[in-house]
Amino acid sequence: MKRNYKKDFTLLALLLIPIGVAINFVGFQVAQVLRLPIFLDTIGTILVGVIAGPLVAIVAAFITNSITAIFNPIYFPYVITSMAIGLGAGLLSKYGMFRTIYKAIISGLIITAIAVIASAPITVLFFGGATGNTSSAITATFLAMGQNIWSAVFTSTIITEIADKVISVLFVYFIVKSMSDRYLSKMKYGHLYMKKSNRNK
Amino acid sequence: MKNSLVNLYPLTKFYFALFIAATVIIVPNYVFAFAWFPVLVLIAVAAGVAKSFLSFILKTLVILLVIVFLMQLFFYPGEEVLASWWIFEISREGLNYGLTLTSRILAIGSAFILFFRIVEVKDFVKSLEDAGMPSAGAYVVLSTLQIIPEMRRQSNTIMEAQKTRGVETEGSIITRAKAFFPTLTPLILSSIASTEERAITLEARAFSAPGKKTSLHKLTKRPIDRVLPWIYIIIVIGLIIWRVF
Repeated sequence: MKRNYKKDFTLLALLLIPIGVAINFVGFQVAQVLRLPIFLDTIGTILVGVIAGPLVAIVAAFITNSITAIFNPIYFPYVITSMAIGLGAGLLSKYGMFRTIYKAIISGLIITAIAVIASAPITVLFFGGATGNTSSAITATFLAMGQNIWSAVFTSTIITEIADKVISVLFVYFIVKSMSDRYLSKMKYGHLYMKKSNRNK
Repeated sequence: MKNSLVNLYPLTKFYFALFIAATVIIVPNYVFAFAWFPVLVLIAVAAGVAKSFLSFILKTLVILLVIVFLMQLFFYPGEEVLASWWIFEISREGLNYGLTLTSRILAIGSAFILFFRIVEVKDFVKSLEDAGMPSAGAYVVLSTLQIIPEMRRQSNTIMEAQKTRGVETEGSIITRAKAFFPTLTPLILSSIASTEERAITLEARAFSAPGKKTSLHKLTKRPIDRVLPWIYIIIVIGLIIWRVF
């Protein structure tokens, strides 16, 4: 394990981390400017996971949420969610789950499931079910309909996460497709997405 | 007063924030957790950051606290009904749980907000590096902080450029969603391409060379920075013992 961990963090992988974190921030900002109803704030983490592997993505996720915490500490507990997303994206990539668009959509659904499982307990335990964004309103509606807190939060998280994660994953799929073979060849899972190796298979 | 507070070692301040988080979780009483807030305000006043501290709390925490509180008040299951109106019921348990939860969020949230008001991120990262974080890690964190505003500017430029080319950024949700891709794709691809150049530059400066690196940025630890963490630990252990027995 120790040797693997060193091997994952090549200099190029290290330099990809700040870019990945910045993509998370910029993606969120552009989604806000365009007034899209989703966050798109994990694109960078997923991208790093897909080309540089789960460990690098976990670090990128940790840094993303730590920097968010400087501006708003409320979001720090969700570092667990982001790290789980990074881990999931890295492992899915290892098994070639981002190589075709259909597999990418399935990966998007799996990452949605990971995000929901990792974030719903945080929302319930830390904030009693409310975080002040749109999903709180949905949660409150379910609660008023008589559901218990857990099923209300799970349902509202699934509703808000599914479009977000599937679109993020598809976006990453197209980005990776347009990367040069020269760059991909230097990344851990890059060989999976190089055009040449795809043609041979 | 101001200087002795601000001059504390960054990690000492960080441990203080963690200490507050630990105590409000151990002590189940919401009066105790709420009591931390005036203490933090006093520290902020003493450190000369009261204004930015309070405005930050107003912007980030207050709305959340109100929502969290109302949610518990109306929906937390409880037997003892204090008041009821239409489909809503206020129970004593809900009121208690709402106060407990909001007091904890307020204490922990404001502790960390205060921490980042009185500590420069640069100093904090340096202190982590001194405590054993790899220097490559410190570089990654600090360069991230520089890259984010730079990429934000670039994304605005790209967005303006794409508007000029005729990409619609107003209108129906589908139109706006379509504008997302031409804005972000060139930004991501060009920033990733730039990492290769940066790697060459860093290698030319012996970035991955083994051996200890010297730094121009130095932090000093004073005796009080060695004593305070132990005081926090002793109090936390004391509280745990008090809670268990």
